Amino acid sequence: MAPDATFRFDGRPVAARPGQSLAAALTEAGIRAFRETAKGARRGIFCGMGVCQDCLVTVNGQPNRRACMTPAAPGLEVATQAAFARLDPGATLPERPPARSIAPDVLVIGGGAAGLAAAAAAARAGASVVVLDERKVGGGQYYKQAAADAPLDPQQAAGAALIAEARAAGAEMMGGVEVWGAFDGLLFLAEVAGGALVARPRTAIVATGAYERPRMVPGWTLPGVMTTGAAQTLWRSYRTLPGRRVAVAGSGPLNVQVALELARGGAEVALVAEATGHPLLRPAAAAAMALTGPRLTLQGLAMLAGLRRRGVPVRYGLTLDAVEAAEGGALRATFSDGRSVTVDAVLMNDGFEPQNEILRLLGAGMDWDPAVGHLRARRGEDMQTTVPGLYAAGDCAGLGGAPAAVAEGRIAGACAAAACGHGDAWDLFADRRALARHRRFQRALWRMHSAAPRPLDDAPDATILCRCEEITLGEVRAGLADGPGHVGTLKRATRVGMGRCQGRYCAAPAARMVAAATGRPMEDVSLFAPRVPIKPVSIAAILAAQEAVDGSA
Amino acid sequence: MAAPDLLVIGGGIVGQTAAIRAAEAGMRVRLVDAGVNAGSTANAGSLHVQLQSRFIRLFPELAPNVEASLPLYLAAVREWERLEAAHGPFELVRQGGLMLAEGAEQMRFLEGKAAREAARGLSVELLDRPALDRLAPWLGPQIVGAELCRDEGKLNPLVANRALRARAAALGVEMRADRIVALEAGAGVAARGASGAVHAARQAIVAAAWGAGALVAPLGLALPVRAEPLHMNITEPGAAQIGHLIQHAERSITLKQFASGQIVIGGGWPAESRGDWATPAVRAASLLGNVALAARLVPAIAGLRVIRTWAGMNTTADGRTVLGRLPAAPSVILAVPGDAGYTLGPLAGRIAGELAAGLPAAEDIAPLSPARFAAPVRLGASAVRLSA
Repeated sequence: MAPDATFRFDGRPVAARPGQSLAAALTEAGIRAFRETAKGARRGIFCGMGVCQDCLVTVNGQPNRRACMTPAAPGLEVATQAAFARLDPGATLPERPPARSIAPDVLVIGGGAAGLAAAAAAARAGASVVVLDERKVGGGQYYKQAAADAPLDPQQAAGAALIAEARAAGAEMMGGVEVWGAFDGLLFLAEVAGGALVARPRTAIVATGAYERPRMVPGWTLPGVMTTGAAQTLWRSYRTLPGRRVAVAGSGPLNVQVALELARGGAEVALVAEATGHPLLRPAAAAAMALTGPRLTLQGLAMLAGLRRRGVPVRYGLTLDAVEAAEGGALRATFSDGRSVTVDAVLMNDGFEPQNEILRLLGAGMDWDPAVGHLRARRGEDMQTTVPGLYAAGDCAGLGGAPAAVAEGRIAGACAAAACGHGDAWDLFADRRALARHRRFQRALWRMHSAAPRPLDDAPDATILCRCEEITLGEVRAGLADGPGHVGTLKRATRVGMGRCQGRYCAAPAARMVAAATGRPMEDVSLFAPRVPIKPVSIAAILAAQEAVDGSA
Repeated sequence: MAAPDLLVIGGGIVGQTAAIRAAEAGMRVRLVDAGVNAGSTANAGSLHVQLQSRFIRLFPELAPNVEASLPLYLAAVREWERLEAAHGPFELVRQGGLMLAEGAEQMRFLEGKAAREAARGLSVELLDRPALDRLAPWLGPQIVGAELCRDEGKLNPLVANRALRARAAALGVEMRADRIVALEAGAGVAARGASGAVHAARQAIVAAAWGAGALVAPLGLALPVRAEPLHMNITEPGAAQIGHLIQHAERSITLKQFASGQIVIGGGWPAESRGDWATPAVRAASLLGNVALAARLVPAIAGLRVIRTWAGMNTTADGRTVLGRLPAAPSVILAVPGDAGYTLGPLAGRIAGELAAGLPAAEDIAPLSPARFAAPVRLGASAVRLSA
């Protein structure tokens, strides 16, 4: 019997393994609703990676803690988060751990594929390197390290090797660090365990990756509906199945991979719905993918064969239309051909959005890429953005996939170190060749799938667009009738994007709707202006940062 | 389309309410707004009446101007209440404002201030800590007392701005997106926009806040308006517990809770200007200093998270509202409210609209006349050709 991290939820004991997140332990216990919204709805885990702010719970009296980012610990008193946290009149300011100030040559933000490769390259060149990662355990979304168990497969083993490589090269890794502030002159403010971290690096490499684009349908906010990546984290990091019986919908290779992983883990996968047509009907696109990436294409085929062997139906040209609550806490998912399945969890991934908030906040130049429907950072050969000293590597600069992220990270790391006088960064030919190859494969891969966001024209008015503020598509459509020339005007008129997640899901579709309504290109409409804090930050943590910054000034 | 009777330059709170009043009086009104920073709807919704310590400290020489205007602030809050009754709700709450003192010297300052304000008709009272605890039991231990000004309040500016915009639209006010770069006045007015369009009308109301100075300079007015980018913060929602508008006797802060449960923290910390026509950037020192001060005054909010910050443009001139026809160009009415422009905005807008429509003004505006900034007309300065 493994050691025990049993905590209490609303007074009842919930079994947990050490390292397991609160969200995983609650899911394993069959508890899916974690909080109540202002309009009385229930919410649970959705993104599984600290972005959506929907899995909030009260922990030891502290309101609004993300269950997906908070490890279970024995004796924790966890409670359903009320819509309006009560302010304790007798509250005194919390004790704050001492703040830490760092000034490395190279600060790497994000400990995934790009960040780890960048850190290893920069540290090997002799630069002082600190890597900040939001999660307790590094590795990012692609390598998804297990919280406690041995590597599950070669993908996790490769991540463990990259973490070891960065460490061995001398990079310092800091986990559980939430970067919430980025300011000109390269000043970063972060929260670590309620305390403050103040970073004034000589150069910074942003490697914050991407998050998943959902399929917005009626019912997509119900507890039990989550991103495919969230389900993968539950399984790969915490050995928790998102449900006994699941359905997977959207477009792209992650859906197939996770469906197979969950099936191997013992879940019954009722259906995998891929929005694009069958590959055999599109031989040119399939051939292009096979030619540019034979190994990855074979891996993909093997996954499909694995699903077939387990009797999991994979249907092409099929999209999710709605999710409703069914009897006994189950969910009924309805698809575009009229079929419906009853499951415990509905997993969705309709592509990815870059986490480019830090880059945009610091004014890095961006270009709209209509093929993938998101912004790409303008960078030089050295991965430096238009802001001197600020580099970007991996998916945060525009989707490219993990292998490309590793190559970009190695280039960015070597070049940032060289800019600080460490190494000369001339021997990057192999990395550049690898990068070109990975990018060719990505282009072919996303021709096979559908990387461009799907329009919401046919979605019913009742569909929620803004999860946080519970604003429906109908309300946004009504707001468009007032003729806002800019998505910021639409935001002030409808409150779309004003909530805790800061518009990470609704900003892009809202901007597309404004662009369509005004007939202007997306470049002109832009997204919501990025603002600090990059993620919600507790007032206590701001207080700690203020003391640290004033003390060092 | 026929030329409008009235051109309103600036679509912020002043321009909106001026357009509404003039349209209600039967005028055909065109409202032109630049869209960025102008009519930015960035205000955080405090209804200020008592003298703001921040203003007295920053601009001591102008404090007498604000003090003389105190009755105008009372009338302005009444105007907000009238508008809410007609077009609301705006989530307007008038539970009063508390200006906190952290020591005996600050308390003495508040005593003197309260006496001056009472003489001007404000409903004020000094509270010691036990009295304060009955109204606001969530204050930090270092607070010794406060001045309560019962006239103060708060509203949700997003809700109010939207309702007023809808009212203007319903009255047939024609809204145009353009930035006016030059204004000529004679028998009528002609305003040239950055778009190249020339907007002509019989009269114009210049409600362009800090942008008004450049427009009226060629018309014989040296209006010392400056744009002052200011920083604001908003938290995630908490239970509704803070009814008052909170300020401090010596330091820059406003703190209030919206009906949504969110707490808005502001009070005039500077933001970083990126030029008058770009959205200002947030300064780390302002965010840290502003929020840390709020946490020390109201420790109960320390567990909440700040979810967003933003910056808006405040306008400063001589502290007193500038309202009336230009001495050298009577077809142009200037409407630039004094300190706390959002509070004063609807009253300034209404009076400007009434002036344009030839109606008797709601308040005596002689002391507010732009004549105090009259300057010799610089020949050639208005040589921009508007017809052609």
